[in-house]
Amino acid sequence: MSAVPALDRTRVPAPGPLRPFRFPAVERRTLSNGLEVLAAEVRGFPVVTFDLVMDGGGVAEPSAQGGVASLAAGLLESGAGERGAAEIAEAVDGLGLALDSGVSWDTAQAGFTSLRSRADAGFAILADLVRRPTFPQDEVDRLRDERLAALTQRRATPAALADEVAVRSIFAPGTPFSRLLGGVAGTVAGLDRERVAAFHAARYRPRGAALVAAGDVSMDEAAALAERFLGDWTGAAAAVAAPDVRPRFDRATIVIADRPGAVQSEIRVGHVGIERTAPDFFAVTVMNAILGGVFSSRLNRTLRERLGYTYGASSSFASRRQPGTFTAHAAVQTEVTAHAVAEMLREIRELREVQVGEVELTDVRTFLAGVFPLGLQTTDGVASRLVTLFTFGLPDDYYAHHRDRILSVTAAEVQDAARRRLWPDRAAIVVAGDAEKVRGPLEDLGLGPVEILDPATLG
Amino acid sequence: MQIPIERFTLGNGLRVVLSEDHSNPVVAVNLWYDVGSRNERPGRTGLAHLFEHMMFKGSQHVGEPGHIAHVERVGGSLNASTWLDRTTYYDTVPADRLELALWLESDRMGFFLPALSREKLDTEREVVKNERRQRVDNQPYGDWDERLQALLYPPDHPYHHPVIGSMADLEAMGLEDVRDFFRTFYAPNNAVLTLCGDFEPAGARELVERWFGPIPRGPGLPPLPGRPVLDPLRLGAEARGVVEGGVPLPRVYVAWRIPPYGAPEYYAADVLSELLAGGKSSRLYRDLVRERRLARSVGAFVLPVVTGASALIVRGSVPPAGDAAALEAAVLAEVERIAAGGPDAAELERALTGLEARHVFELQKVDERADQLSMLATYFDDPGLINTELDRYRAVTAAAVQRLAREYLGDDNRVVLTYLPGAAAAEEA
Repeated sequence: MSAVPALDRTRVPAPGPLRPFRFPAVERRTLSNGLEVLAAEVRGFPVVTFDLVMDGGGVAEPSAQGGVASLAAGLLESGAGERGAAEIAEAVDGLGLALDSGVSWDTAQAGFTSLRSRADAGFAILADLVRRPTFPQDEVDRLRDERLAALTQRRATPAALADEVAVRSIFAPGTPFSRLLGGVAGTVAGLDRERVAAFHAARYRPRGAALVAAGDVSMDEAAALAERFLGDWTGAAAAVAAPDVRPRFDRATIVIADRPGAVQSEIRVGHVGIERTAPDFFAVTVMNAILGGVFSSRLNRTLRERLGYTYGASSSFASRRQPGTFTAHAAVQTEVTAHAVAEMLREIRELREVQVGEVELTDVRTFLAGVFPLGLQTTDGVASRLVTLFTFGLPDDYYAHHRDRILSVTAAEVQDAARRRLWPDRAAIVVAGDAEKVRGPLEDLGLGPVEILDPATLG
Repeated sequence: MQIPIERFTLGNGLRVVLSEDHSNPVVAVNLWYDVGSRNERPGRTGLAHLFEHMMFKGSQHVGEPGHIAHVERVGGSLNASTWLDRTTYYDTVPADRLELALWLESDRMGFFLPALSREKLDTEREVVKNERRQRVDNQPYGDWDERLQALLYPPDHPYHHPVIGSMADLEAMGLEDVRDFFRTFYAPNNAVLTLCGDFEPAGARELVERWFGPIPRGPGLPPLPGRPVLDPLRLGAEARGVVEGGVPLPRVYVAWRIPPYGAPEYYAADVLSELLAGGKSSRLYRDLVRERRLARSVGAFVLPVVTGASALIVRGSVPPAGDAAALEAAVLAEVERIAAGGPDAAELERALTGLEARHVFELQKVDERADQLSMLATYFDDPGLINTELDRYRAVTAAAVQRLAREYLGDDNRVVLTYLPGAAAAEEA
């Protein structure tokens, strides 16, 4: 028998040999109609994802038509070419496609994941949906009514209510990002077939759009499908002005969305964030992970692990072509609401004031670098990275350097990012909870003015 | 496409499944303990889940910075979940940190008790109470599953009570409950360990033996509390529940008891759930959502549970102008049509195609593959089912679906749970 050292459980096992990870090679081509094709081969499973990305997101909406982008994307399956909704559904389900369409603030997307053997047939359907949607009147009415019902539903869901009040409190009234991407009751109710069709006709155009392909498919195969089904598609979406991203408050302000009798308060501490192409994006990513981006983050250690106030506290930056939001979030039991808010602000301030230690910094960087491949095991995971490359104009080798960029962020850069990107003195502090119980303690914090909002009066 | 499987059992009874895949430099470590809320005694509901939380609070040799930080700091992700029949712990780590994950999991399997303290329990109890508030008490419709369980299963059945437990029981939980639970259920002979991903099987086996081999076998397991075998399986009469207030729009759940996961009827029920509400070509979506607009959305699913009985559950959300009773009647009428005439060949084929495609999509992830392997090993002692279970779905005929509907989806075996907006919500409208 070989001499195996006695098992010492007190020592953390040393790592084995590091195994390299490479982001799949990204290829890019442009069709004669301006449509870009981005492809990344991922073999192993006979699965492929295609996604069409168009310049038809929320920022492209006429100001009085909030929600039209989302409604248009949702209606693509309701009729296209010669097929009605029922026929499309039978074709999609008959092929086992996981079909998805929707919008971000920056883009409209329609795509599917399928077994490779059904990809061509699926692609023909996708092309039809994007190029020849018919927007049947009864389906427009149905989906619009459904969206209105969903808005009603949101208001009764504490987390969704807090999210909605947060964006309304972060951005100045009337600015695009101050409302929900899917629109609000006032704008959604006014949407009709004409507006949806006009939005589609203006924004779903090949120039300025991209097809991304990931999985068991080559660039040649993807480009051939694009030529065959999208080659004679024409036009360009007109440029859209950058949205106004002015903040609503110039000092910290507490907004309580009153939910009498609520046993928990949903807390959001937020303000305007960063654009996806900000030069300090990686420093901000690491900084946010330290604050609230991992389980062992400061917010979660404090509010969950030390105080037991919550099932979980976290924070995130939603970055877009233009600055999006920063929010820290937690659902805490009603009685401790004010103290939880104070602790969240304390953690935010501390990141600005005290440089992060090397151990904590290294841990978080390693976490972010290590989990990066986990999101790339599926074809739609890889496809979503290609969508990001296209949407934000990032270079093809961007993800090849992703881990190195994360790993090279320094403590000084983290503190610098915190000072520039975290604004505790101008934060919107939103609490969806029982105003009668939380108002006094929140006022006693002396952070700033306190507003009480009746959710039923939200427009 | 074939998922490779290697199995062995350690001397202490730990069942191990290895599945090698070198496409990404990651490895999923997945542990299923054959214990869930079904094993809880009256007055201690929620103990299995609270215990799962305590497993992250340290073990004899894993002190600061704690289990979670140890995994996160090397670039791994992790979590755990508790359900009726089982408790699952999973870590996905960079391939070179496999041994770290084995160290962590083996330490809490073998050396959990010395690190336990009242202070840790008291803090974690508050976390779990807040989990309950967030998921159940402060959430419209948040208690649908515990209400359905209570209606579907008699008070002495182990599935009668909710996994998260009651606030009173959580409050009553003491250190000795936690200790007893560990001594009874957390032993290598009551667990399955699966590794899936980038490793060499021989080396991985050696590591597993090294870290888990010395942990002693546990005592025999006590019988399940209460009456786990339902005989007859059918309820015998309809059971109804109505919840008024606290929700903005009505919602209807209809559920029927069916044979447990693994039975041929279960697969027929799963296929039926798919053709009722799986895709937008499904019967309920087409008829109730798109055509008649009796529902905003519909869903249907079966519970993959193995103790006594499973359930087929249909959910329908009522639109503002709609009516819960009309939606319920329409769902039942559709089920009666299946019972009378069975599905047609085309819709059956679509349902099977959807199930097959999603199976392949899901298996792309090592953590999902590992979880399925552990599940199949725990429930059926047959992880190889990951490669052959689709055959059981393929064997489901139109006649089998019709028979399932006739035998199990009648009005003597039905639970209906309805949420209605209350007086307060009506005033606002």
